[in-house]
Amino acid sequence: MASQSRRTPLERVEYVLIVSTLLLLVVFTLQPLLNLLALSFTDPSKVAGFSGLSIIPDGFSIDVWALLLQHPNVQRGLFNSIWMTATSVCIGVFGTALMAWGMSRPGLPGRRLIFILVLVTIVFEPGIIPDYFLMKRLGLLNTPWSVIMYKAISAWYLIILIRFFEEIPKELLEAAELDGANPFQTFWMVVLPLAKPALATIALFYLVLHWNEFFRSMIYLNDQTKWPLQVVLRQFVIEGDKIAIVGANNANNNIGLAQINIRALKAGMIFITILPILAIYPLILKFFTKGTMSGALKG
Amino acid sequence: MMAPGLLFFFIWHYVPIWEAKMAFEQVRIIPPNIWVGLKNFQQLFSSPIFYQVLANTLIISGMKILFVFPVPIMVALLLNEVRNGKLRGVIQSAIYLPHFLSWVVIAGVFIALLSPTDGAVNQVQQAMGFGTTNYLTNTGTIRWVLVISEIWRSAGWDSLLYLAAIFAIDPALYEAAEMDGASRWQKIWHVTIPGIIPTIATLFILNMGMFLSADLNQVINFQNDVNASAIDILDTYVYRMGLSTGEYALATAAGLFKAVIGMILVVTSHLVSKRLTGKGVW
Repeated sequence: MASQSRRTPLERVEYVLIVSTLLLLVVFTLQPLLNLLALSFTDPSKVAGFSGLSIIPDGFSIDVWALLLQHPNVQRGLFNSIWMTATSVCIGVFGTALMAWGMSRPGLPGRRLIFILVLVTIVFEPGIIPDYFLMKRLGLLNTPWSVIMYKAISAWYLIILIRFFEEIPKELLEAAELDGANPFQTFWMVVLPLAKPALATIALFYLVLHWNEFFRSMIYLNDQTKWPLQVVLRQFVIEGDKIAIVGANNANNNIGLAQINIRALKAGMIFITILPILAIYPLILKFFTKGTMSGALKG
Repeated sequence: MMAPGLLFFFIWHYVPIWEAKMAFEQVRIIPPNIWVGLKNFQQLFSSPIFYQVLANTLIISGMKILFVFPVPIMVALLLNEVRNGKLRGVIQSAIYLPHFLSWVVIAGVFIALLSPTDGAVNQVQQAMGFGTTNYLTNTGTIRWVLVISEIWRSAGWDSLLYLAAIFAIDPALYEAAEMDGASRWQKIWHVTIPGIIPTIATLFILNMGMFLSADLNQVINFQNDVNASAIDILDTYVYRMGLSTGEYALATAAGLFKAVIGMILVVTSHLVSKRLTGKGVW
């Protein structure tokens, strides 16, 4: 770089300070996570003395992961989380795409009114009690559908997609119509393929949103066998319900999971819950970053 | 083609508005409920707990505006100075991660981090001779835990919005400043910051619009019996009164109070933002 050669010693010191500050932020961000990851792989006999500062496992063992992944509550939670998230994402993406497509058509009667009615839902939320009674009235309480259907179409993502669809060149749509395509065919064969990157972004938005959802599941689902992983994690780590994971029998007789330090079990549970997010993190970075950057640039 | 979507919006967003009429009723086990007008609101506004909850909400939101809001701006300014694209990419990938974790996970991480026996923070504190503090059960520190955990979660990701604004600044402005012999700080002060002022203003106003929220998902995972008095916010109050105590009408009234004030705040902030910067909430 040309400017590099002109740098004074003071500027170099400044640069080192700037980078160090950012690296400090990186440490502040990652150390707590790496510590828990290391803890979950630490030899069970050494967990008790494991330092909160360390990020390298003391000894190595997969006992914590093996025991947790064999645990019925964890397996059920994983299963519930996966199918509920997958269903929500499908409903969300298709519902949002269909509605956004309709709303992006200039000829739609009452377009402005519908737009305002959607905006109202962003600014006015009557709260959790009316929602709860609605679920009760619909008979959805204590069924996974209450969580899956609840606001399955996000007004925010709807607006993003409308903006995207509005920019599709008219000529493409007219060409499809000339070829004798009906509106549904146009949507399916022309619009959706064009919108692939936008749809992928929306799908990821929904995926993260639904995977991380816990509040609705917590209040709508009484039956513990229906809980997604986040609620299982919450019961164990936040509410400190040790028996839920360790098991009363194990705890009383100090066998099985009870022999493993609770700290390591909690660390393992946290990591099992964030594993899917970590797995798709490269995709998230690619699509979220681009989506946010272009949104901000367009203003 | 829009029918399913419209039906969704009607059921999940408009029927609850109708259900909210419960705030003006006395709820009876055997329907119908009786219309009581503003009685629930009178009861709400005459209860001291309501004012404590309101105060907590305002204090926590105020602390977040003061101490959380500026952090991503600084992070973006620093990131922009990193000329090595690869290094910047690595830093960005690391600091964006917490944004994608749930509050259950984040609270779990902070409970471990702040543990008085083996958490990193207390270990450092002890090594420096300060003894240990149980930050999570101390009403004096728990609000700071909310602030710090919010910074941990959002400082990285939120900086992206400012970074995008910085990248949109005309490079010619920097070149002109360099010709005039401007230093790094002069360029930041005279080119970068003025360039992102509209973004800062927009996001600040939007944050003001959310003032009564203070983030239920966060608070509910940090709340325990000991610290509740310091971080019981409007949303947790509604949750507790409605779904634990069964005071449905009172809880709905509190929720409606928050919804109406919140709506006024958001719409006002949208209009102010539109007028000042040309950018609104939607």
